[in-house]
Amino acid sequence: MIDTPANDRHAKGRDAASVSRARDRALFANFFHRELFTRYLGSVTGLAWALVSPIALLAVYHFVFTAIFPARGFGQSSFLAFLAVALWPWFATQEAIQRGTTSLGGYAGLIRKVAFPHELVVYASVGATFVLQLAGYVAILVILVLMGEPLHLAGLVVAIPLWAILMIGVIGLVLALAALQVFVRDVEHVLNPILMMFMYLTPILYPITAVPERVRPWLAANPFGWLVARMREALIDGRLAFTAGDALALAIALVLFVAGRWVFRRLSPHFEDFV
Amino acid sequence: MNHASAQASTLHEPARDASAQRSLHLSLAHVGKDYAKVESRAGRLRLVYDLLRGRGAASVFRALDDVSFDLAPGASLGIIGENGAGKSTLLKIVAGVIKPTRGSVVVNGRVGALLELGSGFHPEYSGLANIDLAAALLGLAPAEIAQKREAIIAFADLGDHIRDPIKNYSSGMVVRLGFAVATALEPDVLITDEVLAVGDESFQKKCIAWMEGFLAGGGTLLLCSHSMYHIQKLCRDALWLKGGEVVRYGDAPSVTQAYLAWHEEKSAQQKAPIPRKAASAAGVYAVQSLDLEPGESIAQGAPLVVRGDVYSPDGRAPVVLVGIVRADGTPVYGVSTDMDRVAPQKSGPNAFRFALEFPRLDLLPGKYTLRAHALDPEGVRLFDHVERTFVVTGDAREFGMVRLPHAWRM
Repeated sequence: MIDTPANDRHAKGRDAASVSRARDRALFANFFHRELFTRYLGSVTGLAWALVSPIALLAVYHFVFTAIFPARGFGQSSFLAFLAVALWPWFATQEAIQRGTTSLGGYAGLIRKVAFPHELVVYASVGATFVLQLAGYVAILVILVLMGEPLHLAGLVVAIPLWAILMIGVIGLVLALAALQVFVRDVEHVLNPILMMFMYLTPILYPITAVPERVRPWLAANPFGWLVARMREALIDGRLAFTAGDALALAIALVLFVAGRWVFRRLSPHFEDFV
Repeated sequence: MNHASAQASTLHEPARDASAQRSLHLSLAHVGKDYAKVESRAGRLRLVYDLLRGRGAASVFRALDDVSFDLAPGASLGIIGENGAGKSTLLKIVAGVIKPTRGSVVVNGRVGALLELGSGFHPEYSGLANIDLAAALLGLAPAEIAQKREAIIAFADLGDHIRDPIKNYSSGMVVRLGFAVATALEPDVLITDEVLAVGDESFQKKCIAWMEGFLAGGGTLLLCSHSMYHIQKLCRDALWLKGGEVVRYGDAPSVTQAYLAWHEEKSAQQKAPIPRKAASAAGVYAVQSLDLEPGESIAQGAPLVVRGDVYSPDGRAPVVLVGIVRADGTPVYGVSTDMDRVAPQKSGPNAFRFALEFPRLDLLPGKYTLRAHALDPEGVRLFDHVERTFVVTGDAREFGMVRLPHAWRM
């Protein structure tokens, strides 16, 4: 209802839409910078936590599943490489969902008093998490290669677009969750156990071939597990071709994104009163 | 209810065709806002469900209803009303923070909004970083931001504090920065909400001077304030809101006067005693009756006796405080039983009586209110008060409230 055509004094011939697009870009850049720097890089421990904790978890999982419960069925490849390739996309997903769901709360002051597209907050939050985790991913892969692990770094050409597909889907999911969280504060508490269960039911710590035949189709239908399996094909087996399945994954991610954004846009006009 | 838009067209350009709309900075027509009313968690879930289905909320609170006005460049409108009258809701709608449920809002030009303290500032950021954020929110390109930064820093006049995080600022410093940002961005419409109240005297003067220049230069000002002084000084027109509806809309002096008169009348209404049953149910000390002798009209210098009954839920003697205020609320004198080390007389299991005599009530002629308060026996918690207004008659020509004993020696 409110239309705010830019005044000639400021617009100088630019149309209103391009002014507001430029504004949204500048705002996104500001939020993204805020997410990245105040949340992770603002303190020494923040940065250390962001980079060291995944490595520590990798070490723990590796120890548990080689020395205590030996994992089987992951082929002749090293379990360390097998684990690392899947673990970082999971960390990114988990953290993006957890942080993103509560992200609007950190902008409550702004939402209550300034007019801006609230989606930008979610994009910045999820984007910052993915960028940081992807950087950690590339770093750990390089380290593992230097340690002599059998990995194909060229596989990143396939893995990075798969990360992008993953991020599109996660953004859709987080848009819906973050909007719900504004109204129903329990969302964030329900999420943690669900994410934990989801991790163990996804072929991250084990290969899908180790799953009993009967339940395998159920686990194989998990799109996240499927993306991770594709990353393993690219980085461990060195298969660099895209498949029709990748296109389907992109389609699913886009559907998730559109659906999440629809939920978000239905609810966002009422954030001001509840955030 | 006065119909605001009808008055608006007589106050401003009567023409309402498309070209006239263009030249207006701001035009509101029949704007209303409903807020969803939810009490329980289930209610919140229900609301989410309704919103997702594209319906409105099932039960709503009407925060604003049928507000219309047009503001041309150079116009200034003050919004007045009690807390909860819908002032902030109105400003938020004009600023675009919320969408109106009904009616239409047309804004031509850039809106600079200064809603509440430090609106849109991030507490962890330094003043400088917040300037960049605010500028990005207002849609400035990075090159423009760099260009304006110096002017903002100069206007805010915070010295080296500009590099400190906002959370370490005093409220006055936050307002300085907020005002500096809002002004440097050259808005066409400036919306401010009670911000002048916070800054120090010299900064207030600076802000008022800036606003006067802004209006002279064709800006449009929307000011929300409890200070009638600021409204009268800065605004040509005023809009009085009550319970979300327009009570009166017109030139600032007449609306503010009507508002003040209404306030005086409201506070002058006598407060009735709490019924004994209610006092006993609530377990509070309550004044049950209050009588003035000789009555509601007292000659200046004559004696006044105040008598009353007080209910005590636990049978202990309450503390009674009697005070006199002038009709406009200025306190004249107050005294309590525990100050004078006396206690009300027990007159029943839970009842106490008191009587207070002023042998010579030397108040100057005028209208006064006498209040009797009931406090707990410790004199700490104040539970209840009952009022009586009375008139002091006489033809004294002295100034002030009381006649002080005096003698000229020459």
